[in-house]
Amino acid sequence: MTTADTALFRPRALATGGLAAVRRHPLILVLAAMVLVFQVSTGSFLAPANLSGIATDAAALAVVAVPLALLVISGYLDLSVGSTLALGGLVAGRLANEGQSPAVAVLGALAVGAAVGAVNGVLCCYLGLSPFIVTLGMLTAVRGLDQQLFPLPLSGFGSGFAWLGGATIAGIAAPVVIAALVLVAGALFLAFAPGGRHVFAIGVNREAAHLSGINIRRTPFLLFVATGVAAALAGAVKASVLDSVVAGTSGAGFELTVLTAVLIGGVALTGGSGSILGVLLGVLFLGGLQNGLTLLNVPTFWQQMAQGTALVAGAALAYLAPRTGR
Amino acid sequence: MITPASSSRPTASRRRFLTLTAGALATTALTATACSAPAKATASAKPSASGGKDLTKIGLDYPFTQLPLYSTLVRLSTAAAKKHGISLITTSDNAGADTQATNLRTWVTQKVPAIVSFPMVFEAAEPIARQALDAGLIWVTYGGSLDHQSADIKFSFSKGGTLLGEAAAKWAQQKLGGKGKIAFLTDSTIELGRERTKGMIDAFTKAAPGVDVVAQEQAIDPDTGLSKTKAILARHPDLNLVLGVTDAAAYGAFKALQQAGRSTDDAKTFVGGQDGAAPSLLAIRQGTFYRASAALAPDDIAAAIVDVPRAVAAGKSHPSVEVPIALVGPGDTARINQLLAQNA
Repeated sequence: MTTADTALFRPRALATGGLAAVRRHPLILVLAAMVLVFQVSTGSFLAPANLSGIATDAAALAVVAVPLALLVISGYLDLSVGSTLALGGLVAGRLANEGQSPAVAVLGALAVGAAVGAVNGVLCCYLGLSPFIVTLGMLTAVRGLDQQLFPLPLSGFGSGFAWLGGATIAGIAAPVVIAALVLVAGALFLAFAPGGRHVFAIGVNREAAHLSGINIRRTPFLLFVATGVAAALAGAVKASVLDSVVAGTSGAGFELTVLTAVLIGGVALTGGSGSILGVLLGVLFLGGLQNGLTLLNVPTFWQQMAQGTALVAGAALAYLAPRTGR
Repeated sequence: MITPASSSRPTASRRRFLTLTAGALATTALTATACSAPAKATASAKPSASGGKDLTKIGLDYPFTQLPLYSTLVRLSTAAAKKHGISLITTSDNAGADTQATNLRTWVTQKVPAIVSFPMVFEAAEPIARQALDAGLIWVTYGGSLDHQSADIKFSFSKGGTLLGEAAAKWAQQKLGGKGKIAFLTDSTIELGRERTKGMIDAFTKAAPGVDVVAQEQAIDPDTGLSKTKAILARHPDLNLVLGVTDAAAYGAFKALQQAGRSTDDAKTFVGGQDGAAPSLLAIRQGTFYRASAALAPDDIAAAIVDVPRAVAAGKSHPSVEVPIALVGPGDTARINQLLAQNA
């Protein structure tokens, strides 16, 4: 069986879950150990209110991490998500301030996110420019656009728009429900849709994928658009949760956080390997670590050292796991 | 011409505002509020080569372009300069100390007649300021003092924190009988943040020693303020007070408390911050438990950006100014409206 074959069969194998998943994702054990330590140390880590807080905070990260993971698996990258997140929040906030319905506000955000993603996609997939350079440039350009269009903070979006970040559905916060839907959609896409197999095939060997009849431009282009849409949606959610958004600082550094979650979740930066389960673990690991250290009242600089060390350890495990699995 | 501002040179650590990497993000939110200044005496200005002549151009170098305050200051300063027939030009430093140094050197080479600069790293700005003075230009330091300068525009780093801490302590004594729980959202990455934090904590703990300090967490932006406060609430659901080193962080705490079920006008809850940011001012005006913000007036700063170089050019003996900072609360509706209008 070739590497490409392995990659093509991997999604279905992961879907079986269980012990194989634990072997493939040792981050599960790290996560479990972390939860145990924090619960024993604080007594409140597993409190429903705290878990709800972690999940709500991590929701925006998960929403963007899923399409970004697919993009990375296909061999591309998007570093512009932080600025796109801000743009989405600003557009949604402005529309809400102008009295538009929450649906229109969110759709407006999604439209600008799709536009940013489409620009990235055309430049990277059809013109063949480096995704690193293009999206790094877009990170700066879109941030400038954010500040030019919205130089002052927006706030007071009204009770209708607050639903997006503050409502509960069957007792679960709306952002968490949105994140769960995105995670499930991403996992199903990777496991069962032909497009999911194409993502892996393109990431493993673009030329071979092309010779196999796979459209190696359209699939990653659509993933760029999906990533832009997801970033804008996350921005709208964050704007709703905070009832405010600032063009210069909203989403600043978010691109590195979400990329960290994707990579420690086992997605290979070189493409061709990864899973949505891993991404979920990466998101939960980052959210739980931050929360636990705060609960423990760890001093700031110790928190930074602990976070850095834990991230390196998590990334090392994620790196080693697929090798042992092959 | 060199105009020594002080006989004693501050230590490097005192004058260093931020590191180039980790501190940059923190600085953005913190300085959005416009900050305060390291204390240092400033000598009276001597007329520069352009002294006695009318200024036609002022260069405003405010490095934190990502902050809302940047847009506000540029707008207000441009309008203030226009009243005197002066054109205002700006740099685009993007919170980069290297970029700032490059832009300032370019201005000195171009002989921009008056430069008002908020140095990210004061040590790096010193030789550039000296070059500017040697070239006969006017150099005004914003947010602190240099050895080589024509004048400065200062504001106290710690005073906002002190005012906020004292007000919160007074509220705790009156409303909670001097008992309760408080969390501080702090910053320890830059001098401005450290002094604000120290002023806030020292003033509060001195005036309300019976209130239990349950957390001191690094947070300068609303996202972090929200998530940190949620975590603190998981362990201390009866938390009464949250004071922020910035309004942005405090606003995140405000939303976290609301999302935890607190009524927006809860009588036993106090949130306060520093900067006079618009969302926080609106929350105060609405009578919520966001009860105070220590604020500088953008109008005052913008006026100083134009008036101080003009005073130097005119050869006035004491051209430097200190921008006042004041605490606004629920009863200060007129003042809040003024501040909001300046930010509009």
